[in-house]
Amino acid sequence: MRLVLGILLVLAAAPAAAQPSITAGDWLRIDIRARIQGDIRKSEAPIRGDEDGGLDIARRRVGVDGRVKHVDFQIEYEVGAREWRDVYLDYRRFKVVQVRGGIFKVPFGLDENTSATSLDFIYRSRISSRLAPGRDRGVSVHGRVLKNILTYEAGVFSNDGDNARPSNSARVFGNATSAVRVVAHPFRGAKKAMGDLQIGAAMTSSDVPLGFPAVRARTVLGASFYNSDVWVQGRRQRTGLEARWQPGRMSIQSEYIRLTDERRAQSVTDQDLAPLVAQGWYVSGTYGLTRKRNRFGRVEAAVRYETLSFGSNSDETRSTSARADAVLGNSDRATTLGVNWQVNKWVKLQANLIREDIERPSMGPLPERGRFWSRAFRLQLTL
Amino acid sequence: MTRVLMLVLLLCAVPAAAQTPDDFFDSRTLHEIRLSIHSADLRQLREHYLEDTYVPADFEWRGIRLRNVGVRVRGLATRSATKPGLRIDFNRYVTAQAFLGMGALVLDNALKDPSFVRERTSMAFIKRMGQPAPRESFGRVYINGVYEGLYAFVEAVDSVFLARELGDGLGYLFEHKFVNGFYGEFLGDDYAAYRMRFEPQTHRLESDYTLYAPIRQLFLEVNQDVDMVWRERVSWLLDVNQVITHVAIETFLAEGDGFLGGSGMANFYLHRPVASNVHRLIAWDRDTTFQDVESPIFARAGENALISRLLQFRDLRAQYLDVLEQCARAAAEDRWLETEIYQMHQLIRDAALTDTAKRGTNEDYELAVAHLIAFAQRRPAFVLDEVAKAR
Repeated sequence: MRLVLGILLVLAAAPAAAQPSITAGDWLRIDIRARIQGDIRKSEAPIRGDEDGGLDIARRRVGVDGRVKHVDFQIEYEVGAREWRDVYLDYRRFKVVQVRGGIFKVPFGLDENTSATSLDFIYRSRISSRLAPGRDRGVSVHGRVLKNILTYEAGVFSNDGDNARPSNSARVFGNATSAVRVVAHPFRGAKKAMGDLQIGAAMTSSDVPLGFPAVRARTVLGASFYNSDVWVQGRRQRTGLEARWQPGRMSIQSEYIRLTDERRAQSVTDQDLAPLVAQGWYVSGTYGLTRKRNRFGRVEAAVRYETLSFGSNSDETRSTSARADAVLGNSDRATTLGVNWQVNKWVKLQANLIREDIERPSMGPLPERGRFWSRAFRLQLTL
Repeated sequence: MTRVLMLVLLLCAVPAAAQTPDDFFDSRTLHEIRLSIHSADLRQLREHYLEDTYVPADFEWRGIRLRNVGVRVRGLATRSATKPGLRIDFNRYVTAQAFLGMGALVLDNALKDPSFVRERTSMAFIKRMGQPAPRESFGRVYINGVYEGLYAFVEAVDSVFLARELGDGLGYLFEHKFVNGFYGEFLGDDYAAYRMRFEPQTHRLESDYTLYAPIRQLFLEVNQDVDMVWRERVSWLLDVNQVITHVAIETFLAEGDGFLGGSGMANFYLHRPVASNVHRLIAWDRDTTFQDVESPIFARAGENALISRLLQFRDLRAQYLDVLEQCARAAAEDRWLETEIYQMHQLIRDAALTDTAKRGTNEDYELAVAHLIAFAQRRPAFVLDEVAKAR
């Protein structure tokens, strides 16, 4: 572990090299990309997939992206997991209507659609990593209209994203999914602070087959706090609201996501049950401690408060039964304090201190107590 | 007029609200339980009836409806897909949910008893003899509106039972699980052998040492040579007088599958108070009683490591014979046993005859009841005669 950490630190200290890139006039550009992230995590609660709390190489990605005439492309491969990530073509001849096809992120969620290299925290908000769809194979139409005030993207996908896909094959996820996301910059062009404000809404719709859902309740470091062992069948719908504002050295961002799974004919009398509801929100902010990037890089402080809850809307007595109308779910509230140090274009260091509060500790990673602390450190190298 | 109406409504409301466990275990009434189980779960329950998998259900009795109870198939030799014996745990999916104060209930399919009444009559007799026994009643069971058959409703032996019967709701309770022929021999030092046979019903999260060290010690001591200190050591771990009484009652009832069962010890719970190492027996599953009118009064006693040694003590042997004699007199007094059987038969006859899932024909049912009545008439005299010879 120390050896790997040492290599990462040496790389971080190495003089910046030029970005490997191939260009030919205005019609061709190919950039070679690589990214490696190393995390060190400690927690009072169990860490999923990292029980010893040691170094975790979270991402090892290589790829190329660029443009050929009016077609943008990206190919990215995750070396560790041995799987393709973004692989798509994007026809961008017209600003108003552009067409993208391949494997890419379903247009839903602000945090989820922010590049991992640009995140304000080591881990995305839980509503993004658990409830937003993530990547899938599909086709979308997107563009900017009304003098760039409105950005839209609408698409159809073979399923409802890799975040919803089970690690356990017995669990179910959404079939063919349609998604739409609209983001407005109502004050675009204005020179006032409000000029950067963006607000948006998104939704997805799909059918989920009979089974226990793969959408799971996890703490920030991946421990389960609710097992979602309830029968679902019917329509899966996601609704999202988002807002971001970056006045000066500050940024504020907030998002709400609600995912509902119908439970048609799943009561003990073969009647419909109240849908399973997973929902949450977060509000986060950053403040630049250095006025602009200098020879020491840019340092900013960040704070986020977030919730994620599972349950159903019913007046009956709460129950852990797989066929309960009133699901006895659980919720987790997390507060994250962070510091980000963008050393240079290629190196970023992040440190997060996280406090979580589980509503029903008996379902959580530490049955005897609901509150626990975690901390994480990330070194990210990007080419 | 309004006042009269209010009074009538109030009076109508009282009985529903005032139901008690005594009402549910009122053996003069044929009850009715309705279960709602999702069609897929019911199919799974029947297809995998050998597994102890719980499914959720709604439970209803006399207008009392409990949502999200847990139901699983139960039993050993009586496991069946067509007429499953069921255990209902009211609090499996809803914390602290209870039915008339009970956390669980057993619906016994009585497949080993063509007369249906052995189990309930035996438990009533055990209680009559002053020993703890679960309460029972009879009723029709409907699942999703379909008549499943006639069942015996049996109070679960759990902490609620311990509190009511023994005043010790906090005690340790183990259900004996039949693994193979176990006649009370020492099973070795490994707790696993005891865990396999004695499943904790309370204090489940405690260590093996806490749970099983006294049980292991009991069978270690039992299997020592009977000398001056043997009884003292065993008495420190076992209420020997209670065990003698328990076994004598079983013997009077000609139990074929009890503590002195033909295949080893079976169908009992082991209870141990929190602040004591002294174990007691609690009877369970008495649907193989009334085997043979002339079943010997020392049947299989010599095969059991514990009972064979206990009966070497003159006072315990005398107690054993005394209890047998008391049983005979209690059964014969006012033809108590015969009357019980007959009354139960009258209560359940129609439901039994229309129970198409029962094992055996209607003729088998009538013959079985006739056998029981004959047993009740002749067994007391036979036992008294045998006891007199043995003294």
